[in-house]
Amino acid sequence: MERRHQVVVVGAGPAGLNAAKYAANAGCDVALIDSGKRLGGQYWRHTGVQDFDQSLHDDFDSASLLVDAVRANPRITICSDTSIWSASILDEQIILRTKNGAFITQRLVLATGAYDRTIPFPGWDIPGVMTAGAAQSLLKGSGVIAGKKIVVAGTGPFLLPVAAALSTHGAESVELYEATPWNAWLSQLHILLQNPSKIFGALGYFKTLRNNKVKMQYHSAVVAAHADDSGLLKSVTVAKIDSNYKVLSEREVPCDVVAISYGFTPDIALAASLSLKAKVASDGSTFIEVDAEQRATTLDAKYQIFAAGELTGVGGSDLALVEGAIAGLAAAGSSQNKKTLLKLRRRSARFAQALLKVYPVPNGWKGWLKNDTTICRCEEVDYQEFLEAGQVLGASDARTMKLMTRCGMGMCQGRICSRNIFDLLQSSEEDRIRGSQRPIITPITLGELAQEGLL
Amino acid sequence: MSRPDRCDAIVIGAGIVGATSAYALTRAGLKVLVIDRGTLASGTTSAGEGNILVSDKEPGPELDLALRSRDAWFELAQEIGNSFELEAKGGIVVARSEVGVSGLRELTSRQRGAGVSAEDISATELRKLEPHLSHSITEGAFYPQDSQCQPMLATAQTLKYIIDRGGQFLPNLEVTSIKSSGGKIVGVETTSGFISSPVVINAAGTWAGEIAELAGSHLPIAPRRGFILVTVPMRKLIFHKVYDAEYVANVASGAADLQSSAVVEGTQSGTILIGASRERVGFKEGIDYSVLRLLARQAIELFPILAEVQLLRAYRGFRPYAPDHLPVIGEDAQIKGLWHNAGHEGAGIGLAPASAQLIAESLTGQRAFMDSTPFSPARFMQGAVA
Repeated sequence: MERRHQVVVVGAGPAGLNAAKYAANAGCDVALIDSGKRLGGQYWRHTGVQDFDQSLHDDFDSASLLVDAVRANPRITICSDTSIWSASILDEQIILRTKNGAFITQRLVLATGAYDRTIPFPGWDIPGVMTAGAAQSLLKGSGVIAGKKIVVAGTGPFLLPVAAALSTHGAESVELYEATPWNAWLSQLHILLQNPSKIFGALGYFKTLRNNKVKMQYHSAVVAAHADDSGLLKSVTVAKIDSNYKVLSEREVPCDVVAISYGFTPDIALAASLSLKAKVASDGSTFIEVDAEQRATTLDAKYQIFAAGELTGVGGSDLALVEGAIAGLAAAGSSQNKKTLLKLRRRSARFAQALLKVYPVPNGWKGWLKNDTTICRCEEVDYQEFLEAGQVLGASDARTMKLMTRCGMGMCQGRICSRNIFDLLQSSEEDRIRGSQRPIITPITLGELAQEGLL
Repeated sequence: MSRPDRCDAIVIGAGIVGATSAYALTRAGLKVLVIDRGTLASGTTSAGEGNILVSDKEPGPELDLALRSRDAWFELAQEIGNSFELEAKGGIVVARSEVGVSGLRELTSRQRGAGVSAEDISATELRKLEPHLSHSITEGAFYPQDSQCQPMLATAQTLKYIIDRGGQFLPNLEVTSIKSSGGKIVGVETTSGFISSPVVINAAGTWAGEIAELAGSHLPIAPRRGFILVTVPMRKLIFHKVYDAEYVANVASGAADLQSSAVVEGTQSGTILIGASRERVGFKEGIDYSVLRLLARQAIELFPILAEVQLLRAYRGFRPYAPDHLPVIGEDAQIKGLWHNAGHEGAGIGLAPASAQLIAESLTGQRAFMDSTPFSPARFMQGAVA
């Protein structure tokens, strides 16, 4: 089955929802595709959950309003639970292939978001070690608390709401270790002061953390995890670290869950398979470059592809919303409210830039690795194997490393490890971008591939 | 590693053909330098399945080369250590029509005459060897000599062996011209200077024609595009390399349009590989999803259970072929010291060690293990010279 739409939006998080809404309001017939069952994406994954505790989210109302507006709009066809397994250009048309047939359009808005960034350390593959995003979605999505004694660690503003939510909703104890010192914000104080809502938001989290007796330490990181006899997490090594993540002193902290977040990595797989121009940010992440109207650079001008939200550089939901609006309008060929939106985007973008500067992830984490530390979880490649492939087999770039050791070849399709592999190898911009290209974006069965009617 | 000023032989191309050429020359006592404009195994070597086959060849010089090469692979593993997943997994060729069956029986009989172990087997035996094979398939042939390796590791380990014995490998170094004087090779000009050498081995695979041109010679090597599907790793479902008898016809075909017959096999890492489409479309980038669909359909026809298996990756390669579909192995017809070892099409992994042996034997004036005339570069020269 093939479906044609004037505008197709991929991703139903803040950016995608807003893009669909603005494009539809400008008169276009829009298809909104998302791999999840509910609208809202990773960020607003609670929408539609029965009896959801609204205090878990600081912008519950705006999320619900936007989701309701999209649902009620007759010009928007919602296609949830729909994964795109491949995309390509055929006769100047953009083809998006899903298990339920292909979508065809000449104006596409990509809002595929980002995924959690983890960095490896000894024991990071023990059950009980998870991403902060996973702990958060267990709670938001199904109301499950991941453990009793929880350690939240890493760097970035995302740690605060995760620790606050876990401590409010039943964890016996929560400890929070932030690698970056609080005074890192001093250099960006002017930006912070222009965004008072961010300050109030943070103060709210701090108050919750204090009320819930969450212990918080800066300049600290989880540098190892330890399993008990049954293989489950029993404790972590928490280290005092310097600003390059070098370990200064260590102590052991008992816990049954550790939630880790070192920021996010834009999910550019779909964008890369459509050959959109990508760039590498100062933090090493790869993002899609866009113009003032969120238009990405394509191989041919006969079709237009826009990118919005984390895909164009991690910047948070405020920036994603305004980028989505601009992309939706541009895809519809409308220029209403353009000036106001551009101004809004400038402010949010400045804040996103400040975040990037305040919470860098320096390469000192390499010093945490031991010879038997897993680098690639899917293919079980450890650090020693990785180093030997470099020294003995001459694997100095990510592609050769993958061919020699299989790291990055497994089920996660490199989502978990490839950014770390790029950093360990100090990969070039070209290697990082090429390493994101995959003809099969999400796995499909051979039976589905063999079906009639796929373009 | 620093660039040497001189060496006994320069091998252009760090794929499996270049690596095994360097290996054979190193063992013959030469000081060898391998260079590549990219990294090791970055061309066709990493775009195939690691096939070492005798089953897919008609009797003739290529089959003779393949038979020797199959043994040479196991000798190589003995010498440098089998750290590249070499295994004699055996091949199974199946026939689905009456015409196919009689054709296959006739082929195995001729192959046996040429020294191939080929056993005609019944439906019961087929099912014993491959329990998940489609019930519509009633007859086939078993080829115990058919083998497989992990070609990227084989390339890396072979290069490591020559480096340990005084050879050198320089990646990311491009040849800008190949110099000769009085019809004899004197060295190559690279992006980082001139390297003097009386011998140059052109092992640039699909790009060997460009290298020949840099030396002022001519080699009609063109690309043939092929796709391969890779499933998620799983429990062992497929135990041999299994393919349709039609594949043998496709291998020998010169037709330009798409040909495809599924070649299905499990690997040591647990994934299942599905090849092999063949198209003459030049160096066409991108993925043609209709080709992937055809491969999936044909694989399911052989193994219905594959319909439920998840596809994880797909990749594309360009196989180098000459107009007569035979490899080009030997000294250039006009330029002394320029040796070509290229154009092995979809059989480069399998044919590499024996091709390298032929080069080394001819170059050092030893008696070659077989007559290399059918592979001679001179066969393309008549028109070009006149």
